Amino acid sequence: MAVDSQREAALQPVAPKRLTGMQQFVLTVSRVWGWVFLFLLIVFFSITGTGFLSLRNSQNILVAIVPVLLLGLGQTFIIIAGGIDLSVNYVMGLASVVMALVIRDLVANGVDETLAILVGMALGIVAALIPGLLNGLIVAKLRVTPFIVTLGMAFVARGVGYLLSDGNVVGGQPPGVRLFGNEALLYYIPGDGGGLYFLQRPEAAGEQLRVLERIFPWPVVVLAIVVGFGIFLLSKTQFGRHTYAIGGNREAASRAGILVDRHTILLFVMSGFTAGLAGVLHTARFNGGSAIAGEAQLMPSIAAVIIGGVSMFGGVGTIWGTIIGALIMAVLQTGLVMLGVESFWQWIVVGIVVIVAVLIDQGRDLIKGRAEAQLSE
Amino acid sequence: MTKKLLAILVVALLAISLVPATGQEDKPKIGFLPGVVDPFYQVMELGVNQAVADFDLEVITQYPPSWNVSEQTPIPDAYVARGDLDYIITAPVDKDQMIAPLQAAVDAGIKVITVDTFLGDGDYIDGPVTFPLSYIGSDNVEGGRIAGRALADVLGGEGTVYVQNTNVGVSTTEQRGEGFIEAISEFPGMELVGMDYNLDDANRAAEQTSATLQRVPDLGGIFGVNVFSAQGAGNAVIAAGLGGTVQVVAFDATQFAIEMLRNGDVTLVIAQKPFDMGYMAVEFAMADWRGVTSLPRRVPTGYAVITAENVDDPEVARFIYQVP
Amino acid sequence: MVAETTQERQPMLSVRGIVKRFGGLTAVNKVDLDVYPGEVVGLVGDNGAGKSTLIKCVSGVHQADEGEIFFGGARVHIAHPSAAREMGIETIYQDLALAGNLHVGANIFLGREVKKEYLGGVVKVLDETHMLTESEKVLDSLDIHIPSLTQEINNLSGGQRQAVAIARALYWDARLMIMDEPTNNLGVVEQRKVLSLIRTLRDRQVPVILISHSIHDVFAVSDRIVVLRRGRKVTEKVASETNSEEVVQYIVGARDDTREEIPAN
Repeated sequence: MAVDSQREAALQPVAPKRLTGMQQFVLTVSRVWGWVFLFLLIVFFSITGTGFLSLRNSQNILVAIVPVLLLGLGQTFIIIAGGIDLSVNYVMGLASVVMALVIRDLVANGVDETLAILVGMALGIVAALIPGLLNGLIVAKLRVTPFIVTLGMAFVARGVGYLLSDGNVVGGQPPGVRLFGNEALLYYIPGDGGGLYFLQRPEAAGEQLRVLERIFPWPVVVLAIVVGFGIFLLSKTQFGRHTYAIGGNREAASRAGILVDRHTILLFVMSGFTAGLAGVLHTARFNGGSAIAGEAQLMPSIAAVIIGGVSMFGGVGTIWGTIIGALIMAVLQTGLVMLGVESFWQWIVVGIVVIVAVLIDQGRDLIKGRAEAQLSE
Repeated sequence: MTKKLLAILVVALLAISLVPATGQEDKPKIGFLPGVVDPFYQVMELGVNQAVADFDLEVITQYPPSWNVSEQTPIPDAYVARGDLDYIITAPVDKDQMIAPLQAAVDAGIKVITVDTFLGDGDYIDGPVTFPLSYIGSDNVEGGRIAGRALADVLGGEGTVYVQNTNVGVSTTEQRGEGFIEAISEFPGMELVGMDYNLDDANRAAEQTSATLQRVPDLGGIFGVNVFSAQGAGNAVIAAGLGGTVQVVAFDATQFAIEMLRNGDVTLVIAQKPFDMGYMAVEFAMADWRGVTSLPRRVPTGYAVITAENVDDPEVARFIYQVP
Repeated sequence: MVAETTQERQPMLSVRGIVKRFGGLTAVNKVDLDVYPGEVVGLVGDNGAGKSTLIKCVSGVHQADEGEIFFGGARVHIAHPSAAREMGIETIYQDLALAGNLHVGANIFLGREVKKEYLGGVVKVLDETHMLTESEKVLDSLDIHIPSLTQEINNLSGGQRQAVAIARALYWDARLMIMDEPTNNLGVVEQRKVLSLIRTLRDRQVPVILISHSIHDVFAVSDRIVVLRRGRKVTEKVASETNSEEVVQYIVGARDDTREEIPAN
């Protein structure tokens, strides 16, 4: 009888939120700390650093997060689905090299500049889709763990990138490449004779050129479109729902009729796409392709994902979180350099933030788990 | 059938072992071992090959896949195992960890010449390592000084400067930074506002440079210790509308660096002389082979400063790292 | 729901000579099984007897190494769980197969999400409102009350999870319902509810395969009882013609019809 009444109790409305004030506090913190921390950083640097809170600096930070956030975007999907992609940085380099080579050679052979740039960008991205597809096929069909597959693919992509570029930076780009990488949607010249300009860069020289603000440079526009689409895909569509389901319970997802293998392959192809896009934008911005264009971006991109609250065990996380993570790192970097503090401090702070982020997430899970344990007793 | 094959094999082996035996008498055979695949070493290889052709020698060249002790070590081991080499010309990727593998080559009767980088402290007379014949290469501290003086010259001896460095602990780039700071301190009107490390990443270099330009709006010049550092710094300067106002110095005259110079992203390019290093190393080997005993143990190869004005001058343009 | 009444008794599901091996282990060994419209078949056996493996071959989780499956009179190949669900085979698994990180509504519609279409079908967005309303309806029809359907499964009790799994299977009009230990985590009231639910399904001509450790439950609803032991079917009895002691004897191996070569059914 006693057992029965307990069972009855178990079926009553969960009353799951019968948490202590402290637990409630931690749950709230786990949701908002990223925003709060970013806000505090901005306030701190605005007070201490000259010119931190300025239009110019906001654009600099947006441009700086382009590669980190693009790599982190594909990574967010994959980690939510319970995987990881360690090849994104060199895949980015590969795309960068392929784009630069194609454009250089097409232009050298008299192909129209615009056409050459479009073909180059397209082939750069295709070159990144191939390792993504291979990653997905090997993970899904041959059941090799993503950590190993993508680690191997990183070496392969790096090697191919080096072979194609001979270890050089591939230059010889026509002016249009640079325009795409550095010009902007809007321009603003403050003061007399200035104003706001749409699409068309105003003629400016000397002092006017110095104060000319580029608002939303093209790489940032591309980033915004892709990230916006990513947010929509993950939070509003069946594809996103299935991504969470696979990360939450792969077996259940499969039994519910989700084509888990196909989905996994698609996720890695998507990650290849975002890495390829990052490579293409690198070539455009810096006017040349390099096999190691993304080398230093892997760890920051994963850190952004973790700071953003994506669980390495899968099933949990949002793209907004990754955006916050990328912004926190860029703001730290810029702010510390502005303060004239040695940039090594950035690593220390980022390292601590990553660990604190994971601790906060674990605290959250623990509290939820506790609520569960109390019920099942 | 197998007997016939065996017979052919034996004859072939005999033939192979006989040829070097006769050749060894008058001409040395050289193994070239660069640090990593990049334009700098590729140009050095051109110098080696030119000298080898001029002296009618034989050379074997093998590149390590990356700048790494464990990638480089197997190659001298293989050179020793061949048994037919007399000299190894190499750029050791680590001044300490490459001592043992190259000592093994010396023990096997192969003489070692280091180019670009060195073993121990580079002093082969009084230093901890004395077995290499000579160290032929540019002095990176001196390279940094030249960059500093050239930048001060462009700025008229007054203004603020900033350094974009790659990684902590990489001796070449650290020394360039060191030499640069030393040279700047010689000018009372010049001030160093900071040095940041970009991990060899152009995007990060641009991010840090943008932030520095916000902090120091009247920045005079930037020294990028390698191509990616200068690439990022140049991009940030142009984006801030400061092209031509803030002077950027790049190290190493790769074709891409020259492209940046022509585009106006950078003002000066400091060129090393890898062709000289390669050619002279072979010359030294030949001289040693002929019995010359007073070869200098250290040969600094010097630098060329390339600007937009002199870049088309053939006397200067020949220092651009060009691989046909 | 399709009523198959062309013939007197044509089985909805017919399994012939199914063999499933895992490495050297033969989990299911040449099992035949027929399930007719409007009947409940109790599938019993000790742990490791092959019950779950057998039904997973039918629900598409496993592919049989040998043998044939007929569904609704046609030979079928069930390559994937989605194929089984498309045919109308719904399964409640012993481990419930719920995604703990998703909410109740998302789990009930997992793999068959309802979407709103925009721009002539180019853009398809999850219709959360519809899915949550429908989830609430099906849970209500089972007298199950979960305070918030947007609650993660992880935050629910065992019984509530079971209820969600059952609701999910019931929501979709099944032609065959497979239930693997459906009363496992339930209280007495809920157990009764599930059993009456099974009867309702039978009355609606939907056949049910019920796997349970509880002989009592099996006898309470089954029309026929099939006993598996070590991967083989050792007997098949009409429920009214046997009793729990006899069935237990088959389960533990004290009796075995195949030794006497009695034709099935």
